[in-house]
Amino acid sequence: MLVDAPYYIPGSLAEPAPSNPQDPQASGPAYGQRVAALALRGGSLAVFIGVLVFFSVTAPFFLTIGNVGNVLGQSAIAGVLAIGLTIVVIGGGSNVVTGGIDLSLAANMGLSAAVYATLVQAGYGDPVAVIAALGTGLAIGAVNAAAITLAGIVPLLATLAVMNVVAGLELVLTNNTVVPASTELLLALSASGPFGIPVLAYVLLGFTLLVAAVVQFTPLGLRLYAVGEFPEAARAAGLPVKSFVAGSFLASGLCGGFAGILSVSFLSGSTTGAGDMLLPVVVTALLGSVFSRRLVPTITGTLLSTLFVGFLINGFQLLNISSTLVSGVQGLLILLVVSATTLLRRQENV
Amino acid sequence: MTEETRTGVNRRNILKLTAAAGIVAGSGLLTSRAAFAQGKLSLKGKRIGISTAGTDHFFDLQAYNAQVEEVKRLGGEPIAVDAGRNDGKLVSQLQTLIAQKPDAIVQLLGTLSVIDPWLKKARDADIPVFTIDVGSVNSINNSTSDNWGIGKDLALQLVSDIGGEGNIVVFNGFYGVTPCAIRYDQLVNVIKYFPKVQIVQPELRDVIPNTVQDAFTQITAILNKYPEKGSIKAIWSAWDIPQLGATQALTAAGRTEIKTYGVDGSPEVLQLVADANSPAAADVAQQPAELGRVAIQNVARYLAGEALARETYVPALLANKQNVGEISRKLGIG
Repeated sequence: MLVDAPYYIPGSLAEPAPSNPQDPQASGPAYGQRVAALALRGGSLAVFIGVLVFFSVTAPFFLTIGNVGNVLGQSAIAGVLAIGLTIVVIGGGSNVVTGGIDLSLAANMGLSAAVYATLVQAGYGDPVAVIAALGTGLAIGAVNAAAITLAGIVPLLATLAVMNVVAGLELVLTNNTVVPASTELLLALSASGPFGIPVLAYVLLGFTLLVAAVVQFTPLGLRLYAVGEFPEAARAAGLPVKSFVAGSFLASGLCGGFAGILSVSFLSGSTTGAGDMLLPVVVTALLGSVFSRRLVPTITGTLLSTLFVGFLINGFQLLNISSTLVSGVQGLLILLVVSATTLLRRQENV
Repeated sequence: MTEETRTGVNRRNILKLTAAAGIVAGSGLLTSRAAFAQGKLSLKGKRIGISTAGTDHFFDLQAYNAQVEEVKRLGGEPIAVDAGRNDGKLVSQLQTLIAQKPDAIVQLLGTLSVIDPWLKKARDADIPVFTIDVGSVNSINNSTSDNWGIGKDLALQLVSDIGGEGNIVVFNGFYGVTPCAIRYDQLVNVIKYFPKVQIVQPELRDVIPNTVQDAFTQITAILNKYPEKGSIKAIWSAWDIPQLGATQALTAAGRTEIKTYGVDGSPEVLQLVADANSPAAADVAQQPAELGRVAIQNVARYLAGEALARETYVPALLANKQNVGEISRKLGIG
């Protein structure tokens, strides 16, 4: 059953019972919509490739291994956060207002980084600091999970509140100052690996592979999609919906803690302003759907979206164009993606 | 010796010291001007990386634009990147800049512990690194205002204005930024010899962004905590954007007997200093555009084979209630 599972599960809104593998095509989206979805997906991939080709032609330096490696490394922190958010969106459904979202992720990264740097400053070694940073992330995830599954608060509001608490805790811990930190692990992470490519680039790729394997290719991931797409059906099929939702927030919390460690290595310490990451990460995760087979959030789609944004910023710098334009391009794309997917889905539901 | 005579003597000494500092600063200005006149500098065919922590303040915008202009004026090609006060972006841009192998990189501002590892990587990649207002061992030359002078001038003016005694409120949120640390240390050095001047504890933390609003809120809270007039004499900050918020809070609360002090010469703060009724007492104005030009000229000198001093000082000008009109004219503001 699981071999071809990813083939029909992602995105099939009209398919209420994921436990019925015999007949994958019968209740799938109609032909017209599939063509439209394919066009959108193909179109965005074409845009991605077009942008890469354009930069390669206009900025000769763009397509060198060193530069591509740099972009991968620079995207690591945002990528890990966006992947965490994607897990939550998969498990909670992709409705932006009532579905799964974790607004506390960027603040989580800030606090985890601050915990790591503060412990290093206090003389603790890497193992303690790593455990504490990941523990911080996990604890924030647990608070989110409790607020959402036990208290029944909408994720948008629950994580917004947690975000403020976490940002406040970071201020208390660091007094809004930069806490420098340098350890063997941090130096190893910020160094260059094989082929002169930053270690962070390998970390991003490895992390994506790992999470994608779990989410896209295991029964666990399959059920997570089922819970997010049609919770009532998932419940009827006997899946513990609340546990899955809570688990998705724990996973995203852990991602926040992990991103915190990467951030300490990238910035040689913990710095202020982690909250600035929030909106770019949300945008990246939302944009990720467009790079998936059926316009649903996927881990690999989110990686592509992260890299797309990273290459845009990098290419603009190489062409000496103001990077402020990047946010404009990003905004335009997200508007396009959201309206296209909304229209497609409305047709599906008719 | 009675308390009064001691204070009197000290106050006279302070004024003398300030005057002397002014003369030193003035002569520095003359020598640096003279140096620019000689020799033809050129950056023809050179690509100069210009990286800034941000351009959202008067100071960094002026310095940044002046650098870009100066590179163009000297015939070079600027590769200018603005991190918008985001450390992650700053490091990414530096990384890409290093990979682009420009003929030199000039870094304007930034937290030392964050950027220094990357400045070192640039140096390891044989790219000469220059800085403005960043004291890094990896930089060939740092163009900066004399922050020791700035800190001392501002502290002496403050102590003189409050008659050598009273509580002062201090914003110290950016001790990690070298110029701010030097200015703060100079304040501490000066008030060490005025035992009746006390820094109110805990010190306040100024923040970026929302600096003005935040300073307003923090000062309003302090005023509620110290309601009687005279319990606070002055408010000091290492730059003048917190000073702006603090001054507004004082005016709003009707506590204009408290004086505010800051650094950078932002036009809106100089305007307040010029207003006789405003609590803004003094603002040390740096010459940001001049700093930007000097840094680029230093790059040209270095690439032409000249040896450079470790630091190049561009004089700063202390604007107080008496001379603010003159200083504003010198800076080309208003």
